[in-house]
Order: sequence, then structure tokens, then C-alpha cells
Amino acid sequence: MRWIALAALLIGGALTVVTCERSGSRAEIVFSSADVFTMDPQRMSYMQDLRVARAMFEGLCTIDPDTNEPRPGVAESWEVSPDGRTWTFHLRADARWTSGEAVTSDDFRRSWRRLLLPDTAADYTALLFGIKGAEEFFAWRSGALASRAAEGKSDRASAEELWRETLQRFDESVGVRSPDARTLVVELNAPIPYWADLCAFPTLAPVHQPTLERFQRLDPATGMMTCEPGWTKPGTIVTNGPLRLVEWQYKRGMLLERNEQYHDADALECTTVAIVPIEDANTAVLAYESGAIDWVTDLTADFRADLADAARRWRERHRSEYDALIARGLSVDEALAALPAPDRAKGERNDVHALSAFGTDFWSFNCRPTLPGGKANPFADKRVRRAFALAVDKETLTNRVTRLGEPIATTLVPRGSIPGYDSPTGLAHDLDRARRELADAGWIDRDRDGIVENAAGEPFPVVDMLYMTGNPRVKNIAIALAAMWREALGVQCELRGKDGKFAKEDLRQGNFMVARGGWYGDYTDPTTFLDLSKTGNGNNDRAFSNAAFDALLDRAATELDPAVRMRILSDAERLLVEDEMPILPLCQYVTLYMYDPALVRGLSRHPRLSQPLWRLHRANPAPMEPAK
Amino acid sequence: MTTLIMRRLLQLPLVVAGVLVVTFALMWIIPGNPMEQEGRQPPPEIQRAMAKQYQLDSPVAFLGGYAARVSGVGWVMGWHDRPFDLGPSMRHPDWTVNEIIAAGFPISATIGLGAIFFAIIIGTLAGLVGGLRPGTWADGATQAIALLGISLPSFVVGSLALVLFCAYWRLLPIAGWGSPAHAILPMCVLSLPFAAYISRLLRFGLVEQMTTDHLRTARAKGLSRAQAARRHALKNALLPVLSYIGPATAAAMTGSFVVEKVFAVPGLGRHFVEGVLGKDITLVMGIVLVYATLLVLLNLLVDVLYAWVDPRIEVAGGAGAQR
Repeated sequence: MRWIALAALLIGGALTVVTCERSGSRAEIVFSSADVFTMDPQRMSYMQDLRVARAMFEGLCTIDPDTNEPRPGVAESWEVSPDGRTWTFHLRADARWTSGEAVTSDDFRRSWRRLLLPDTAADYTALLFGIKGAEEFFAWRSGALASRAAEGKSDRASAEELWRETLQRFDESVGVRSPDARTLVVELNAPIPYWADLCAFPTLAPVHQPTLERFQRLDPATGMMTCEPGWTKPGTIVTNGPLRLVEWQYKRGMLLERNEQYHDADALECTTVAIVPIEDANTAVLAYESGAIDWVTDLTADFRADLADAARRWRERHRSEYDALIARGLSVDEALAALPAPDRAKGERNDVHALSAFGTDFWSFNCRPTLPGGKANPFADKRVRRAFALAVDKETLTNRVTRLGEPIATTLVPRGSIPGYDSPTGLAHDLDRARRELADAGWIDRDRDGIVENAAGEPFPVVDMLYMTGNPRVKNIAIALAAMWREALGVQCELRGKDGKFAKEDLRQGNFMVARGGWYGDYTDPTTFLDLSKTGNGNNDRAFSNAAFDALLDRAATELDPAVRMRILSDAERLLVEDEMPILPLCQYVTLYMYDPALVRGLSRHPRLSQPLWRLHRANPAPMEPAK
Repeated sequence: MTTLIMRRLLQLPLVVAGVLVVTFALMWIIPGNPMEQEGRQPPPEIQRAMAKQYQLDSPVAFLGGYAARVSGVGWVMGWHDRPFDLGPSMRHPDWTVNEIIAAGFPISATIGLGAIFFAIIIGTLAGLVGGLRPGTWADGATQAIALLGISLPSFVVGSLALVLFCAYWRLLPIAGWGSPAHAILPMCVLSLPFAAYISRLLRFGLVEQMTTDHLRTARAKGLSRAQAARRHALKNALLPVLSYIGPATAAAMTGSFVVEKVFAVPGLGRHFVEGVLGKDITLVMGIVLVYATLLVLLNLLVDVLYAWVDPRIEVAGGAGAQR
């Protein structure tokens, strides 16, 4: 007995010590999200990282969360030269780091240099390749490091010498200059109409150089400038955005609070936000239901379609009242909050929100002439690709399979998402034409056995459909596609589910006939989607290559007139989605949020979903009487 | 005894090094690249730069560098600033593996120790009930529950517990970490399979012991069933339980992925599985290092306890040392 009591006492003590570190008061808004990977702006690429970075760092420009247009950030104004190649940014005088120092143009120059160095191994380096000399600088440094390694040098002196040479080369050859502390001049290879939009992208945000330098080390073995972990931790990191980092524990949570040094601090509506990483989808919903979190950022629970249905039912019942409230000028959330409360017993909800995202769910056709092992690839023929695309009934997919009612897509660039861009029509569901296209390609059911054969009598190869396991939605779509193709075209399909990493390996090696894909846009321009199909693009899993398409993109890259440029890009996309069909667009992605519209304010409904955390706040306790 | 402890402690680095080499080989052959992001592929030059930075371009160079960093040899030679540095996490470059383990291990260890503690108490009581009166309804009931405890997966029990205690009755906080109340459910759910196993081990041990000759003699001399069990049968029946508790404690202390995921507990089990999925070689090797060390040490402790419980066992060598 004494032993048991002693053990209980010890465990209880340990528990108290381990759990009770800081039990501070609850943040104004708490939300769940996938875990943040890094807070180093130049190295990040995950959506959840970028979302936090937009709040913690401010670039030259910012993006208006509701209209998605670039707005002044650290730069209060900018001019573009008549040839569209030189951008001059004027920095505001009151831009401050959390340390109190001024944010200077040199901070930007050095941060961009860091993004361009192969040493940083940044995912988004190529965003800067539009700058004069940038791509050459990156290639030169990569080459210099490689030849140093080949010569077998591993001493500090040679590493330092190469580093000095690198800095000098950047200053001389790359088109980024800071003539004074408040002016940044950028020279581009060709006009980039969306350059201001790019300048708002978090990887182009400035980082505080003195802090960074304390953690940088020149590695004599590789000659690379490396960065030790630690400079992004609370208490060390110095930032310049509307919110600042107060707490961050690995996979345990983050706390941000209003940055009083921020030039527009008085206008910020947010006091504190906390982020709790909850991996389990069901737990996230339960945490929301119990009031532990206010906002579920990505509702992925298996029963999410039912939740979305419940919200739809409730909205339909109050459609006319809702429309009247919107007509009175209320925001969507205000209108939802003013409607009568949902009847949970009847299966109604008002806190599930299906928002279209700036991304397209698609399947890829393998365009390589042969498959691994030398077998002929029937999908190398664009008529076969078109036939398979025409045979898909997307309405049925989104209404009966995914059951989220996603807007169906016939184009890769989400329709209507980019001002001034006219999307091509794309291919609609047309079974007769699908069979015709397949017959034109030589695949006809010659022996009436329900399977199409070629002229030599060989049946259509079993269609190898590669998809990533772990997401029931993807698998359900794969099953439905296989059934549609089998039924409409007389081909046999075989599903091949693989874990993410293994599937990616197969994609890279072209070991598939059709495969699950999908893409979210990074900036507001069609090229963020169209570049995927460029010859040799790193994300061109289909190995699609078309000279006419590449030529159109190249022409658009040098076109000065924005309207003409958009027309060229639209022509390029028409080539993709009406003729060549390397990609089969299914639908626009929909993200499900869960939050009480009467409680959480400040979320944006723009498809970019770059949620402005600095705007998040709790609604006033009694905004208005429910319209009974 | 001292010889045994000394010998085991000397073997420890060798065992751990062997386990680490095997772990590294397994991680190495998994396809994929730890630096690669969801759905996007950086250009090939960037990928090469990333691989070089983490010495992923050569397995020999990686292992050599890792050994020098972790063992402290590199620190002694002046190549590194710190000894026993497990390196940065490859997936989470803002964190060192040391930091991640320092934050996650106390959490997993506390939940694990608590779970084992519950498991020993509940399992022993249930085992005694069945073992002393085999064949009765109480025996049947406890063994049925134990079987259920072994076979029901933690994610089912865990989700059910969450729904009942947190969402429905709202007795306990849900998801996360921050107060002792957060630990109660994970501890209980984690303890169930261990408790069930202990109760079954003890029950069958007792049943066997109660039919031995010396027990019959003890009963014949007038001891009651309970007295005879306590004085003569229990110690022997506990031996298999004891040898089970060592590895079980190591397993529980290094965290259960399922329990930690369901309850959103930031412990080592979750970090480990996510590390494997993300091919985070340094993180996985760091956690394996902790697990292997703990396993060796706890097995040693069990051997010492064995000698204390059963003096017939010769610890300094022979069969006993094999455990």
C-alpha cells in the first residue's frame, strides 16, 4: 500500500510539473490548423505557414483579403517604368521592426538575396527569377559550390572567399538596388504585371538581418551559408507585421498578439489569436463543439458532407430572409448571425461554411509516348485523352460522390477568379463525342465483347489509375471515374492506391496512365496554373510538351498590354482544356470552415482564403436582435 | 549483481548504435525526400542543394557526421559547438531534435508512467479475482473484459471517451495539453490494453501456482486460500508480469501514436510516426535513440527486480541474465 501511494504521489507530481507551464487566459480567437512547419519566411511553402507569416511579416505590398488586390504594405507607393521593367518602391517612414528599428530597403535587398541563394534551399526561389540576373546568379552560385566540392576544398578560407565573391556578384549583376534607405529599385527581365501581387507573397517578406546573422554559419565543408534553428523562436524573432509571436511550442500551439510597433496598430481589430494543432479530424470537431476552439480551418472529418448538408438545409429554409439581410448591406457572417437559430434536432446547422478556394481538383493524363518498361501509352494520343475527359459526368461527381456541391470545372484556372481573364469554355460532358473521339483514335469494340480494341484486335490496355491513399474523397472519385469510363468507353480500369511518398515517386517516373492531381494558385495570374503544363516544369507530372503552348506563354511573358496578354493566356488555356487535354479538370476545391457566425468576425470569403489573422475578433456580445 | 549492471551499461552504446544503423538503413530506403513539400516540387538544383545541406547525398557521410555529432566526439575534437547534438529536424527546420524530444518526452513519459501505474493496479486486482476463483462468474467477467481491453483498438475507445466525457458530459477538457485534467483520459485509455494483459498473465500464473504441490501442502497445513496465495503463490505468479512490465513501460513512456493523435497530445509517439511519414530521418533516429536506451535500462531494472523477487535466480550470469 505504501508503495502504491508513493508511486501515485510521484506521478501526480510529475503531471503537475509537466502540464502546468503557463495556464494563461484564453486568446480572443482560438483556431485549429495543421501544424506550422517553419516561421522562416524564405523557406516556407505550406498554406498554414504562409497564413501565419502574412500576419507576422509585412512585405512591400499586402493583399486586400476581400478584393485580393495589392495594397501598400511597407512600401507606401510605387511607380512602374513605361516599359514595365523597372519598379521603384518608396518605403514608409514609420515601418518598424518589433525591436524598434526602421525597416529599410536594404532589409528587402538582403532578404531577397537570401531567397535567391541555393544555400537557403528555398522552395519558392523561382518567384524571383523574373528579376534581371536573378536566375543566372542562382545558377552561378550553385555551380561555384559544386566545383568547389569537386576540387575537394573544405577549408574555411576558400569558403569565405567564395562568399565574398558571391555578395559582390549579387550587387553587380542582380537587378535589386537600394539607392537609399527608403527606396528599392527592381529591374525585371520582362514586364510582370502581377509583380505587386508577388511582392505581397510571404516568402518575399523582409527578415531582420542582425537577428539572422547571429544564427548563420559558413560551413567550411560545403561552402554554404547555413542557418541554425532558433532564430524564429519567441523572444528571439524580430518581425514587422501586424501581429507578433508570443509563444510557440512544437506541435502544441502558437500564440500571436497585436504588435504595438506596427504602423497601423490602432486599426487592428485583433488582440490575441491562438493556434492549436489538432491532427485528428474528429477531435477537431469535438473540440469546436465543446467550445475549446472557435474556428476549424479545414474540416476534413469523414462526415463533413453531412455537416455541409445540415448547413445548406438551414440556409435554404431562411433563403428569403437571408437575401433581404444581404440586400440591407450586411456581411455574410452578420446576416447568418441575424437569422433564427438552427434547429439541431431537425439536423440543421449554421456554423459550417463551404467556401470555394483558389484551386482546381484534376486528374492527370500521362502524355509520355511510352510507359516504363517500354509499353505503348494509349494516352499519348490526345484524342484518347479528350475521349476520357468527355466521358466524365462532373455534376454527378460533386453532387453524389464528394457531396459538397463543388463548382464543376472545365478549365484549370478557376473560372472568374482573375479579373480581366476570360476563361475558355472547355469540354462538357458528351458521351457521343467521347465514343467518336475514341473511335477516331482507332479504339472500337470490334468483337462486340464490350471492350474496345485497336485495328490489330488488341484490347485497350487496362487503365492504370494512380491515387494517393489516406483521403476517402480521392478514393471515391477514383472509383466513380473508373465506373464512368468502363460504362461509357468500354475500357477496363484498375485502381492503384499508394501512400503519398510512393505515389509521388511513381508520378515522377511516369509510372501511371491517369493519376490524381490538383493545384492551388500562388498569385492572382493565370500563369500560376498554366506554368504547370510548360515543357520541363518541375510540377509537370504529365510530361506534357507542346511547342505552340510554350510559345504562347513566352509571348505573354513579353507582352506589354495587359488586355492582349490576358487574351494570349486565354488562348493558351484553350489549347490545354479543349484540344490537348493533358489535365482533366473536375471541380474547384471547396474548403469547409466551422465557426459560429455570431461569434467570430473578420474572416474573408475570397477564394484565395488568405485569412487576415490580424482582423479576427469576437463579435460584440449582442450585435442585433435575431429577426424572429 | 554489480557485474551484471556494469556489463549491461557497457553493452548499451553498442546496442543503441546497432539499432540506429538499422533505423537509418530503413529510413534511407523509404522513397521520397524529407524536404519536399505537399504536392509541389522544387527545381532539381534546389533539391540537390537541400540534400547537400543535410548530407543526404551520401549515406556514409551522413552516418559519419551523425555519429560524431551525437556521440560527442565531434565536440571533443572541436568540430561542433555542443555535444550530444541530434541535429535539426529535417521537416521542421526551426527546431532541433533535442528540443523536440525535450518537449515531447516528459509528456509521453508522464502519460505512460501513469498508464502503467493504473494498469498494474487494475490488472493485478482483476487477475487476483480470476486467479483465486477460477471458473466462477467473477473470473469469466474479468477475463471477458480483459479480452475486450486487448482487442478494442485505442482509437475506438479514445474517440468514445472523448465523445462521452468531453463533448457529452463535459467533465474533462478536450484535445491539447495544459492541465493535469488533460492527461486523465489519455492515461486511462492507454492503460487499458496493458491492464488487460497484466490481468491475464497474473490470472493464469496464479491458477498454475495454486495447483502446485507446495501450495497443496500449505493449504493442508490450514492456510486459507487467500493466505496461501499471498504467502506462497503470488510472488511466483508475478514473475511473468514483471518481465512484461519492463518493455511495456518503455513502450508506454515513449508514447502511443494513436492515443496522442486522438487526444491531440504533443508527445513523442505522434512525433515519431509523423517523422516516419515525412521521412524526417534525424527526428526518427533521435526518438529511436531514446526508446532503445530506455528499453535497455528498463530491462536491466526488471532483471534486478527478478533477483529480488526470486532469490533462486542467479543474476550474475547463466540463464537469469538472459531475462
